[in-house]
Amino acid sequence: MKKIVLATALLGASMTASANAPGGPGCGWGNMLFEGQSGLPIHLLATLVNGTSGNATFGMTSGTNGCDTSGALAYSGSSLLAMNGVLEEVAHDIAMGEGEALTALSVSMGVSAEDRGHFNQTLHQHFSAIFPHENVTAEDVLASIQSIMKADQQLAKYTA
Amino acid sequence: MFFRITLLLSLGMAMVAPPVWSNHVDQEAFAEALAESLAESPRWLALLHVNRGTTLRSRGRSYVADQNFFLSADGRHDPYAELVATHEALKPEGSEARCAYPARYRFLSEALGWQHDAPFEHCSEYLEWRALMPDERVVLVFPAAYLNSPSSMFGHTLLRLDGDESDGVWLSQAINFGAEVDASDNSVFYIYRGLAGGYPGYFSIVPYVTKIQDYAHLENRDMWEYTLALDAEQRQWLVEHLWELRDIRFDYYFLDENCSFRLLELIDVARPDTGLMEGMRLTEVPVNTVRALEDAGLLASRVYRPSKAVELDRLVAQLPADARRLARRLADSPELSASDEFQAFAPQTQRIMAQTAYEYLRFIHRKRERDAEVARRSLALLRLANSLPAPDPVPPIEPEAPELGHATKLVAASYGQRENNEFGEIQFRYTYHDWFDNSTGFLRGAQIEALNLRLRSTESGPLKLERLDVVNIRSLAPRSTFVKPVSWFVNGGIERVQAEGRYGLSRYVEAGPGLAWQAGPVTPYAFLLARVENNSAWDPLITSAAGASAGLLWHFGHATFGAGGSGYYLTNDEYRHRAQATLNVPVSRNNALRLDLERLAVRGDADTEFRISWRYHFD
Repeated sequence: MKKIVLATALLGASMTASANAPGGPGCGWGNMLFEGQSGLPIHLLATLVNGTSGNATFGMTSGTNGCDTSGALAYSGSSLLAMNGVLEEVAHDIAMGEGEALTALSVSMGVSAEDRGHFNQTLHQHFSAIFPHENVTAEDVLASIQSIMKADQQLAKYTA
Repeated sequence: MFFRITLLLSLGMAMVAPPVWSNHVDQEAFAEALAESLAESPRWLALLHVNRGTTLRSRGRSYVADQNFFLSADGRHDPYAELVATHEALKPEGSEARCAYPARYRFLSEALGWQHDAPFEHCSEYLEWRALMPDERVVLVFPAAYLNSPSSMFGHTLLRLDGDESDGVWLSQAINFGAEVDASDNSVFYIYRGLAGGYPGYFSIVPYVTKIQDYAHLENRDMWEYTLALDAEQRQWLVEHLWELRDIRFDYYFLDENCSFRLLELIDVARPDTGLMEGMRLTEVPVNTVRALEDAGLLASRVYRPSKAVELDRLVAQLPADARRLARRLADSPELSASDEFQAFAPQTQRIMAQTAYEYLRFIHRKRERDAEVARRSLALLRLANSLPAPDPVPPIEPEAPELGHATKLVAASYGQRENNEFGEIQFRYTYHDWFDNSTGFLRGAQIEALNLRLRSTESGPLKLERLDVVNIRSLAPRSTFVKPVSWFVNGGIERVQAEGRYGLSRYVEAGPGLAWQAGPVTPYAFLLARVENNSAWDPLITSAAGASAGLLWHFGHATFGAGGSGYYLTNDEYRHRAQATLNVPVSRNNALRLDLERLAVRGDADTEFRISWRYHFD
C-alpha cells in the first residue's frame, strides 16, 4: 500500500497534474483547514513527533484537505492554486502587488524572472476582476488570470 | 573470493605480471585490506547510517530498522558484508539495484573508477524524480516555539531543497523526518509511544509551501532558515541518498533519534569530514542541531520568516491607538471605510488599517471552518487595501536567533537563609528554560522545565531533596485589542512544604488557566490554580486545593525581574500563601546571577527565605 502511495505521490500524480482540473468542493476562498483533525491530543502528538498521519510518507497529500491533491511536485498554475490555503495567499499578494505566493504563481505559470514585475503589476491592477466575489474558485481565478495575460502584450506569450 | 579479485581489478591495481600462486595470495590480501578500509570509510558508514557511538541504542549497527534497506542479510551489523553485496549488485550494466541506490553507486564508482556512460538510463522512475528535485541550495529550517503550545517549545528542524533563487522558496521541497502516526491509536498510547519510542519514522518530501502553511500560518511559529555551506557535489550526495531512504523505516524516539538527529545523518552523507556524528548525544534538542551545524562551519547564511502573528503585530505597531481601535471595528464591518472617521486618516494609514483588519480576520478564522460572512468581509478588506496607496516600507525587526540563546541544561549553586538558618543548594535541570532565564533566542513568557532538581544542605542536616519538578510549563500569552488568548500552566513533582508544622515532602500536581497582558517590557498576569497533593502529614491519600496567583514579569536588557503572590486553600482547612520576587541577571550567554526572595505563610506561621544563585547553562 505504501509503495503505491509513494509512487503516486512522487511521480504519478506529478506527471498527470496539469491534466487535472484544479480545486474541488471546499477549495474556494478561506478553506477549511483543519477538517479531519481529530482533537487536541492528536494534534499535540503530531507536533511532538512531527508526525505524518496515515500513509503520507514521502507523500503529497498534507495541506490539501478538501482540494485536489495532485500536482504537488510539478507545479502548474492550477495545481498550486488548488493547494489548501494558497488561493487566499495569492489573493492577498495580488491585492498588495507583491509577495511570495505571487512569485510562486508566476513561476508555476512559467513567467520568466524579467517579466515578473510586470506580471505582478498587471494582476494587481485587475484584482477586482480576478476576485469578483468571495465564492470564486481556483478554477475561476486561473481562467481570469489567463484572460488578463492574453490581453497583455508582454504576458500573452505565457498563455499559448 | 570472487569479489575480492574483482574489486582489486576494478581498483586498477591488477598486476602487470601474470600472477604466480604466492603473488595471488598477496593480491587477495591486498584487495581485502582495501575493501575493508573502504567499508570503514566515513562516507560508507554514513550511507548505511551506522551508529558510531553517537547514541545509546544500536551501537555499531545501522539505525535503519528496515531490512529492505540492506542488500546483505547481515548488512545492518556488517558494513563490510554490505559493501561486498552492494558491489556485486551494482556492478552489472543495467542492474536494477542501481535504480534504488544512486548514492551507493556514486560511492563505488568514485572509489573504483567505474566508467559507465549512462549508469541510470534504465531507471526512469528515479530519473524523473531526480529531475524534479531542486538542488541549488540545501537549507536547514527551524520552526521555533509557538506561544501557548508546549509540545512545540523545543522547536523542530527540517531540510529544504531550493531551485533557482529568483523563484522564491514556496516551490522548494521540504524534507522532514517524522513518526508515522496511526490515527486509530488512542491518545494516551500515542503520547507514550511518542516518548518511549516504538513509532516507525520515515523521511517525507512535501512542498515547502505546506510547511509554511503549517508552521508560520496556522501554528504561528517564526521560522529560521539557514543555508548550508554545501557545494554542488555535496548536494548531489544528499539528494541521491534521499532517494535511497524512500519508504525506509527508521525508529522514531522523541528524545534522541528524532527529527533533528536524522537530519544530521543526512548532512553527514554530504559532509562526512566534519565530525558531526562524533561525540555522544543523549538527547537531540533541535536548537542544538543548529548549533552543531554552526560549530561545524556548515551554516552559510540565515533568514528570518515571521509568523502571521508577528506580521499582524508589526502592522498594529505602525498604527496610533485610535487607528488600532478603528481597524478592529473595520474587521467586523468593512463598510466603516466610507465613514468620516476612517476618511480622516491619511491614505497610507488607511491602507495599513485595512491590512491590519484583514490580517486580524484571517488570523482569527484561518483555522476555522469557512464562514460566508467572514469570507465576504475578508474580500471587502482586500479590495479596500488594493485601492489604497502602499505605505512606505518599514524595515523588518529581526529577533535574536534561537542558536544565540543559552544552552539547554543547567547547574546552579545557591547560598541562602531561611529564618536565619543558613543553607546551601545545588540544582540540576535537564532542560530547558524558565521565565527568568536570559530570554535571548527564546520566546518571552514561555517556560518549559523538565527534571529540575534542587538539593539542599542545612547546617544541621545532610543534603536533602528540596524540590523536583518533573515537568513545569508556564505559558504567558499576552492579550491585546486584537488577540485574546488564554494563558495556562501545569506543574508536577515533589516539593518541601509546611504541613502540620512540619517542613516535609509533598507530591503534587497543579495547573490552571490565566490571563496576561503586555505593557511595554512588563507582562502582568493572573492565574487560577487547582492542586492535588499527597502529603504524609495528612491522612487522606490525596488532598486537593484551589487558589489563584498574580504577578508580573519585567524584561530590561537581558535581565528579568518578576514578582508575584499566590495562595491556595486545601480541603482540610489549611492554606498556604506565598509571595515571591526574583531577579535574574545574565553575566554572559551561559552564566547568570539570580536572587530569590520568598515568604511562605501557613496557618499560624510564616517563613522568609532568601537565595542567591550562580547559574550555569551547558550542553
